[in-house]
Amino acid sequence: MYQPTCLLNTWVQENNELVKKWKVRSRAQTHLRWCSSEFYKLLRKTQGVPPHPDHVHLELSVVYNACVCATVQSQFTEAQLLLTQAIQRALQMTSDDPVAPDLPAFWRKVLRSVVNTAFNSCVLDLLCLQWAMWLATCQLKTIQEFKLSSLVETRGAGVGDDKRSEARGKTSDAPLLVTDPRRLVELLQICTSIAQGAERLSEDQSSEALSGLQKASSLPAPRTLVAYVHLLSGSCLSHMNCPQMALQCYRKALETDSCCVCALYQSMLIYRQLGNTQAEIQALRLLHSMLMLPSATVPALAGTHLFSPSLLLCSQSLSSLLLVPSALSVLHNLALKCALHGRVSEGVEHYLDLLAALHSEDQHGVRVYAEAPRLPRLPELYLEAGAALLMARRSADCMALCNEVISTTLELLPERLVLEDPEERSEAETRDVTAEGEDKMAMLLWAGAAYLLQGHCHTHLKDWKQAVNHFTRCINLLVKVRCKKTDMVVKQGSDLCVLQRLKGLSLAGRGIAFTQTNHLREALRDLLLSLQAFPECVGAGLWCGEVLWRLGRRQEAVACWEKTWSFTTQSSAEGLPLYLREPQSGPLLDSKELRHRIQELGPT
Amino acid sequence: MEGRCAVETWAEFGFPDASRTPRITCARGTDVFICTGSDEVYVFDTQERKLTAVLQFPSPVSDLVESHDKQLLYVSCGSGVYCVSFPFLLSRAQSSPADACSGPAEVKVPSEFLVVEQESVSSLLLVGSVLLVLSQRDASWLLSLYKTAKEAQCSSYEMLSSFSLPLVSSGDTEGTGMRRRPVLTCVHSGEPKSQSSSSASSSTLADSHFQLDPVLFKLLFGIEAALAKSPVVLCGLPDGRLCFLPLRLPGARLRVLHSLEEPVAFVGLSVVEETCPGHAKCLVVVGEQGRVVLMKTVKGGPEGGGTTAGFIEACVAGPVVCGSVDKHRLYYSTGSDLLVLDLSVGPSGRESRERDDDTSSPTAAALTRPNSLNVCRVMALAAPAHNNAGEVQLLGLSVRGQLQAIVLPVVERRDEALSNQPSAQVGRSVGDLLSAIGDVCQRVSVLKNAIKDKNQILRHLNQVLNVSFLLIASTNSEEHRPGQEKPIRCRALTRWSRLLQKDSLNLTCVLDNSSPYVLEQGWTLSVTVFPVSYSPGAGEESSSTNFSFPFNYLHPGETLEVSLPLAAAGDTSFPMRVSCSLIFSLSSLLREEETIHLPGLQRSCISLPLNTLTVDWLHALQVNNPTTHPINRNATSQSNHYPTDTVKAFLSSHRTRCSGRGESGEKKAEREQHSARIRVSSELLRDTLVDTLEPQGPKLSSENLCISLLDWLLSEHPGGGKIGQQGDRIALSSSCVHARGPNGDSVKLSAKEVHVGEESTGKEEHLSAVEVQLDSSSIATVCGLHHAVLSRIQALLQSAPERTASTVRVQSLGLREALKRAERLSEQIQQSRISGAFGMGTSTGQMSRSLLAVYKELRENPLLII
Repeated sequence: MYQPTCLLNTWVQENNELVKKWKVRSRAQTHLRWCSSEFYKLLRKTQGVPPHPDHVHLELSVVYNACVCATVQSQFTEAQLLLTQAIQRALQMTSDDPVAPDLPAFWRKVLRSVVNTAFNSCVLDLLCLQWAMWLATCQLKTIQEFKLSSLVETRGAGVGDDKRSEARGKTSDAPLLVTDPRRLVELLQICTSIAQGAERLSEDQSSEALSGLQKASSLPAPRTLVAYVHLLSGSCLSHMNCPQMALQCYRKALETDSCCVCALYQSMLIYRQLGNTQAEIQALRLLHSMLMLPSATVPALAGTHLFSPSLLLCSQSLSSLLLVPSALSVLHNLALKCALHGRVSEGVEHYLDLLAALHSEDQHGVRVYAEAPRLPRLPELYLEAGAALLMARRSADCMALCNEVISTTLELLPERLVLEDPEERSEAETRDVTAEGEDKMAMLLWAGAAYLLQGHCHTHLKDWKQAVNHFTRCINLLVKVRCKKTDMVVKQGSDLCVLQRLKGLSLAGRGIAFTQTNHLREALRDLLLSLQAFPECVGAGLWCGEVLWRLGRRQEAVACWEKTWSFTTQSSAEGLPLYLREPQSGPLLDSKELRHRIQELGPT
Repeated sequence: MEGRCAVETWAEFGFPDASRTPRITCARGTDVFICTGSDEVYVFDTQERKLTAVLQFPSPVSDLVESHDKQLLYVSCGSGVYCVSFPFLLSRAQSSPADACSGPAEVKVPSEFLVVEQESVSSLLLVGSVLLVLSQRDASWLLSLYKTAKEAQCSSYEMLSSFSLPLVSSGDTEGTGMRRRPVLTCVHSGEPKSQSSSSASSSTLADSHFQLDPVLFKLLFGIEAALAKSPVVLCGLPDGRLCFLPLRLPGARLRVLHSLEEPVAFVGLSVVEETCPGHAKCLVVVGEQGRVVLMKTVKGGPEGGGTTAGFIEACVAGPVVCGSVDKHRLYYSTGSDLLVLDLSVGPSGRESRERDDDTSSPTAAALTRPNSLNVCRVMALAAPAHNNAGEVQLLGLSVRGQLQAIVLPVVERRDEALSNQPSAQVGRSVGDLLSAIGDVCQRVSVLKNAIKDKNQILRHLNQVLNVSFLLIASTNSEEHRPGQEKPIRCRALTRWSRLLQKDSLNLTCVLDNSSPYVLEQGWTLSVTVFPVSYSPGAGEESSSTNFSFPFNYLHPGETLEVSLPLAAAGDTSFPMRVSCSLIFSLSSLLREEETIHLPGLQRSCISLPLNTLTVDWLHALQVNNPTTHPINRNATSQSNHYPTDTVKAFLSSHRTRCSGRGESGEKKAEREQHSARIRVSSELLRDTLVDTLEPQGPKLSSENLCISLLDWLLSEHPGGGKIGQQGDRIALSSSCVHARGPNGDSVKLSAKEVHVGEESTGKEEHLSAVEVQLDSSSIATVCGLHHAVLSRIQALLQSAPERTASTVRVQSLGLREALKRAERLSEQIQQSRISGAFGMGTSTGQMSRSLLAVYKELRENPLLII
């Protein structure tokens, strides 16, 4: 009897020293691992003697510490095993062996049997760990069924607290714990709320989620988690079609935690949804600058707590909500928006920044790759940047970028290519073959687009000969493609659509260039072909009329113009890459003047 | 690659840990870093060939990599990656108590140097300022990117990103022992732009950094990586996957490029075919079991779709323990041998995909024929280096932990140098090669000519020997069978000719080749002319004249005619013997320049005697019927022959008349006619002459017989030629011929038929004979002609058929008389000889007169020759 107490004291001492050491450098992984193994060793020592009531407190404390170590290292199965075995051993002294089919049943039995024993609080601490593990493994249903929050809350607020403080005040030889169970409970409660809210949101139960989150917003919690709560509330509201309220929530989230980039991202999405372009651009710019901050890449709350929210909040639905595109993607979006909405020079700058970032060796600062809205492929970025440069009348720079694309692709371009129906192809052929073929197709389209842009550049410079040259190159490339089926449906964004558009634009460009050099016959041929390939081409329509007019076929010219004006302009341009839009830089025809001509012609 | 490798063991580091891949890296000038799998890293100075430092780490070292500026060394061991700076190392080495001579500095690396805390790091790679760490987790490979600090700060590095690839069980290889370290290499697109943009780091690329041909780069790693000018990290895993990661591409993932299906032992780049300098054209991956995959650009892919990447697979005999590659060759060790594989034998990129099956199979076959270098137990190889002599030097670590320097023999250095040259130099060297080929050609043709010459000479010699054997055999057989003629022999005919108002007797010698052999170049016909008897006054040597006629070719059946002057008019040294022989000079076999070196050969020759001819008085007679005699057949000589002849006759007659008037009786005595007679049985003549001359008539009249006898005597040529013309004999119409001898004396030959029986007492049957009478004023002429006619008839007798018994009887009658006369005459001669011997009283004139008388008598009473 005497001996064990002596042993007990040394073990307690050992445990406490370990805990102290732990707190010195708790973050280093190796240290963590070392501590973990030390706690395991100590646990083996304490369990080396037969179970003894006096030892239970120490033993469970050591188990608690070891389990915390294991959980933090995401070794959940080991922790689970340790936990159940220790509790079974403790219960062997007091009562019968609690054998249960599953964990919840086991815990219910355990709680019932220990409810009035000395180590009730210890078991409850261990229950908290069980909660954390359930949360980390996303077993939200179990947590809900168990009503854990209420269960542990009574304990945390009630007797346990007094006992613990008593014990701490009374003796220095009470075994220390690596984390405070009360803090853990707080953390677990808010994390559970967040996780549940995200889960409900993904299950389209926005209102329930919102109520739960509103409850949680009053809980004591780290700022990041509070910001998450606001963010989730905002998401719920936006799901419930209350964009303005959602924006308010996002603003609150940002106010709570300035590093909550996802709130900014979500508000940007709402601006986009609302069509508030200026606000969207503003939000994008802010988002980009925030993402470029070094602090944004490191979660700031790991320091305060051993259990990081990322460990506990790992559910798929939540992480999809918290997803933020990379800085490069944001920058691309920003550049595109700027270019599309009249801030061309700004857009060009953003594009150039983007390209520079892609070429810098230091772009690894951008932490997360492979997130949802991916960047377009690199040649497309080049072409978009080129198109933006052309819009900004920097044709030399545009040509340089296009040259880069052409020189890269030129050697690999196929002599012939068969374009297949995408649906048919996916069924019929194996994946890798199509991947290769697709790549070839994409390359051809990139090179064609690059030639098209160069043609536009020359048009802009009024170098008609070169323009004709480049448009011809583009056309020559495009005619290498054969469609497998003649009656393929031109779908928005498909290769065929891009191909037809490129054909139309390049033919129109060449036709216009021919018009300028007074080769009216060739011009008419090209413009008509252009309209055949891409009927909505406004430039081709107008210029076709003009050529007809010049050739003296005035009635036809009038019909052509009127047909062209009847098109809903830019209806089909939405969602198309920047470089596939009709250029505004070429020679323009004044519609007023044309109408005037028609009126003059009218009486005759 | 013949020849042996020079292997030199520089140091020993003890047995490496068999469960880990040892590593040897050349770096930092002359230093080599060696880790054998233990917890120590050795720094070895190859120049001084000594161990300079030993770095001790807390746990076994798995990999090490040196920074581009060669100031830092990253070493991965059990607990993470340590960064050791060389300045620190040097300071530690100096401060350590070990003095310089005692050996290497031992430095225990403190834990502050731990920069990346990560467990089970297998491989390291440094790309620019990014440190890539590949480690194996429970269920995945984790490739982490860390940003390195510029100077050796002892703080941990910031992790930039990490990529994971699910682990595929590598099957049975896991259990078999050595855990192969994944291979990490970095590939840059070989565009000149990227070289300049990536600044100094690319100029001092380590062995695990390569510049790949841009087209191949695009094909393998995609166009985006090329456009971003991103370096691509290649990662060969022990499960056989070859993964790649474009470093700078946003959204890039670790993707599988190829699966080797066996642990990747080595990944390297080879130039193979040099088009643009510095860019490798081929990516080489070698598996542990010996599978070699070459990735190359293939022009003309399926359905004419431009260029594609071609994967050429081949198998070499495994296991491949380690490998290394230089411009054209792959070196690999199987543990028992070090082998070298020439990668340049592969197909050039021009072949299309369709033909890939045909073309790649010989390639694969060629790839499976590595050359052994006969170096065993190499466990690790450093990148090959070329030393000053151009030899390839490999640093290897053997199973026993020996650091070995393997110097390869310089066999293919020439090719390599050739391939390194720009096209102009290549053109020049092609020119050199062509001229060398020309030289060889020339030499071959010279040798061919020499052989041809020798064959020619042998053939020639063979002919010569044939000819000589033939002639020798015929000379031997001639003794027994005199009738048989030699296959090669000479005939001759005499002609008088007049040149510069001087008559001369020419002998035309005809060499008749009736042998089956060709007398080729080098043969000389030698004709020696000497008188049978010579006057005692003349010198012996001067009387013999030698003529030689070299000739070129004498084919079988052909004849060679040569003319030689025999005697001038007035020369009386007949009969003359003409001896013919064939001489072959050995020196003619060889050409002049060759004979100079063989002086003995110039004199050596083969002399083969042919036949000997006799030119007698009869041959030298000039018959005084110029129109019919063969000498004057020539129409041109006829015209000037007549006047001179008549003039001369006139002059000589005038002179005789004058001299006759003024001279004494002695002259008269000389002028008196001498005559000689020869009787030949006409039966004999009929028998023989019919055979030889007149085959047409069985019986000749007596008149005709006389004419034909004279004709035979005059037309017979030396050497038995029956070349007398038909016209000659017809012209000889009378049985009396006037002619001139060689000394100008006129002579009369007459033949008449006599009956011997009448003269004698007369028997029941008389014997008819032909008497040839020679009359001339010159006794010498008569003597000579007599001798000549006798010798002719002698020869005729030899060939005559057997005579009848009746003639013998008649002959015996004459013989007795003749014997009597002969006895008397011999008495006279005896007498005169005695008087001559003792004779003071008798003068020489008397004696000769008496001898002459005897002689006359002998001539006057000829024996009948039957």
